[in-house]
Amino acid sequence: MTRTGSPRIGGYATVAAVGLAAALALRRPELAIAAAPFALVLAIGTRFARDPRVEVDFALETDRALEGDDVGAEIVLRAETAVDRLDVVLARPAGSEILDEEGALAVRLRAGDERAIPLHLRFARWGLYDLGELEVRARDPFRLVIWRATFDRTHRLKAYPRPESVRRILAPIETQAFTGSEVARIKGDGIEYADIRDFVPGDRVRAINWRASARRQGLVVNERHPERNTDVVLFVDSFADVQGSDRSTLDDAVRAAATLAARYLERRDRVGLVAFGGILRWLQPGIGITQRFRLIETLLETGVEPTYTWRDVNVIPGRILPPKALVVALTPLVDPRFVAALEDLRARGFDLVVIEVDPVGFVEPGQSEIEALAYRLWLLEREVLRNRLERLGIGVARWGDDVSLEAALEGVRTYRRYARIARV
Amino acid sequence: MFAVGVRVVAVALVALVAALVLGWSPLVSTSLVLLGGVYAAGLSVDEASLDGASPVFAAGLYLTAELGYWSLEEREGAKGEPGDGPRRLAFVAALGIGAFFVAAALLALVDVVRARGLAVDVVGAAAAAAVLLAVVLIARRKP
Repeated sequence: MTRTGSPRIGGYATVAAVGLAAALALRRPELAIAAAPFALVLAIGTRFARDPRVEVDFALETDRALEGDDVGAEIVLRAETAVDRLDVVLARPAGSEILDEEGALAVRLRAGDERAIPLHLRFARWGLYDLGELEVRARDPFRLVIWRATFDRTHRLKAYPRPESVRRILAPIETQAFTGSEVARIKGDGIEYADIRDFVPGDRVRAINWRASARRQGLVVNERHPERNTDVVLFVDSFADVQGSDRSTLDDAVRAAATLAARYLERRDRVGLVAFGGILRWLQPGIGITQRFRLIETLLETGVEPTYTWRDVNVIPGRILPPKALVVALTPLVDPRFVAALEDLRARGFDLVVIEVDPVGFVEPGQSEIEALAYRLWLLEREVLRNRLERLGIGVARWGDDVSLEAALEGVRTYRRYARIARV
Repeated sequence: MFAVGVRVVAVALVALVAALVLGWSPLVSTSLVLLGGVYAAGLSVDEASLDGASPVFAAGLYLTAELGYWSLEEREGAKGEPGDGPRRLAFVAALGIGAFFVAAALLALVDVVRARGLAVDVVGAAAAAAVLLAVVLIARRKP
């Protein structure tokens, strides 16, 4: 531990020195008597201040939690020597808060004492938190000496995004070859009725539609739509993050991505991820609970890294964007590079949907006339951009404070149902 | 003279309050030195042989210093255990009582051995200088 003098040492020394000097100069012993307690405390306090020996440990009750949940933690103090006052300060990463003890503790320990101090922490935002850097300050009984030490007992906690409420998700246009929960357009073995056709040798007797056969005077069989799985790629915009007081567009985008990933994986669909921005992160499409944790842990590392480099979709490996995959883009539609990537993906024939994480709620309109005019122009530009994307065949769902994710997806579902290619 | 003393005491109090409000510890020693200066001026004016109230002044000055620095330490915001405050208060009170008895003992000693003469003056000056040197060395040495 590093040993330093407290402000008392300088203060008491000043008073003692001035008192004694004044006693000499004025020949008044009373001034020396007044200064004597200060000199005595200095002499005794510094002489008998012994370096404390303290061990500090930190433990979390879990290494995974949902954002907003309370997590228990414990600081364990072990003193080999007596400490009159020991202050313990836990370094708090941004986004975390300590619900009790206000992050600082002051305890008195006897030699051989072991004390466990419980804490409750809360993490307001998803992400990775490194906790366990502890600063310790020890003081002697006269408060003349301060010992300082930092203990690094770092534990990483993963705060997962809290899922949004979504009952129905978007159905991709095309399906894949494996069994899943999506009714395919093709005909084969399944439950959903598709069509009828004439019987050909090899058809199963069970498939014969006897009522239709009686009307046609020939055997007719039912055709069904099989259930297939789909490929979904979540395309998260990490070029820009519009921040409000307690959340941001990237926070909401990651929550929505985690929600959609969980819902699609429940249906046995393959889900992949591309975080497209200053740093490109991707995860190849996969299925199952393992893929869900991989996706969430990749999302936890998503952040905005400022860059002026123009990126396009050529940098994304081909295996990450399988053909016929539904690409769900989560973006505030602020950075032109991401908009260009969306147009590029659409031009390459991908089934593309945009969930616009509306940044309007995070931006103040401005006080002056010019600021208000600029704000209106910005809103109009966004409207023009949405129209441009929809004319390309990209459904845009606006998700904001006034529109829930469920309602936004319903709007896109309606667009996809009725949109047709216009031939002019 | 009385008016000047009152003004100096007022300045000392302002310095002490400023130290507590601003969290600047040098103002605590400044206020103590000012209070000591008023006491010294009073002694010079009275020209009494020996002030019997000096132990009270010494204890009061020491308690003022302890309470001032304690207030500054509490600003750091470390939340103590239940009973920590009363325990510390009892310790400070004990230090104050100890300061009173030390000062009283010194006063009695001074009264007993006080005699006129250059030799005693020299011995006294040497002792005071030795104590002063020790205090300065302790303050300058990095603990």
